[in-house]
Amino acid sequence: MSLYELQRCLFDYLRSMENATEGSPRPELSVEGYDLTDAERDALVEGDIAAIYAAGTHPVIVNGYCRAMGYKRADYRSLLETVKPDLEGKARWQKS
Amino acid sequence: MAEIVMAYSASHAPMMAADRESAPREQAASFFGALRQVRDRATNSEVQAVVMISGEHFTNFFLDNLPQIAIGLGEGHQGPLEKWLKIPKVIVPGEPGLASHIMEQTVSAGFQPALSYKMKADHGFMTVYYELDPLMRLPMVPIVLNCTTKPLMTLRQCYDFGKALGDAIRSYPGLDRVALCAAGGLSHFVGEPRVGDIDEEFDRWFVGQLEKADLGDLLDTPNDELMQAGNGTGEVRAWVAVAGAMHGHAGTTLAYEPIYEWINGMGVVVYEDSLPSTV
Repeated sequence: MSLYELQRCLFDYLRSMENATEGSPRPELSVEGYDLTDAERDALVEGDIAAIYAAGTHPVIVNGYCRAMGYKRADYRSLLETVKPDLEGKARWQKS
Repeated sequence: MAEIVMAYSASHAPMMAADRESAPREQAASFFGALRQVRDRATNSEVQAVVMISGEHFTNFFLDNLPQIAIGLGEGHQGPLEKWLKIPKVIVPGEPGLASHIMEQTVSAGFQPALSYKMKADHGFMTVYYELDPLMRLPMVPIVLNCTTKPLMTLRQCYDFGKALGDAIRSYPGLDRVALCAAGGLSHFVGEPRVGDIDEEFDRWFVGQLEKADLGDLLDTPNDELMQAGNGTGEVRAWVAVAGAMHGHAGTTLAYEPIYEWINGMGVVVYEDSLPSTV
């Protein structure tokens, strides 16, 4: 259940940013009230993208969080350099 | 009864509205030129409403409550929600009669779509809708598909839903001329290390499949194999649903451009009821 809580925390944070007044400082992410493990809480407090991703966070949420933190597309490879692509077998559209 | 006077599928990369000028000029001209052709066809056909299918981006639903299919029945749909999207914030008119009819008919056909009277239209809908009707007055029936959260519908299930959707539209007595549109895809990667990649080989294969009479190879593609083309690429489920609604008619690719500045394979495939049957 805590993976859901981690994702809920990020989702609620992203929604709070959407509702923030334009030009106001970026709100702080709060982990209060979410049933998280210590590792999940640390990942959120530290904004550790690799740990958030490795925990199984939905990529749409990772995408929203990274955008909110100001990361660009070129940053993903370095942020997630420890992640191995999950590719198995040859797809039917691949010629080589 | 209503006729589907125009059906098409188009990519919906947010950057096509948020940073339109960032794409190479020729590629943008090709993609937007195709969408302009679609708009002209809609105008010439005097389309009265559009049924649009897009992927869920946690705009309307989240992990506490996530349907595979949901239909917007409301009088209007707020959109777009993204502040950074350069599209005016509006209430897009709904078409509740058609939406309710689609709901009833697809349930009768064996599907279990969720319903919402408060559906919101994010970039998934608005980028493509805005190109169809810049005045944003054309009534829309939005349908969201779960395209990213496992377990996912197979392509064949999406095709079958599309067939039921097409039958539903064509049996609606309240309108004469309806457009059908899929918005999403083609290949792209979201929130993972390959963000920025485009699987051009997949994209060209996929639009080529839609031009064939026999979609068997495409519809037999397992979900895990489809995922190899990108974790956002599953939005092509909407394209496959439109192919199902237009079964018997081959698609025509109006444009395909791998636009790396928009981190997305950008394509437009159109169907016309006037085209000869391919079955």
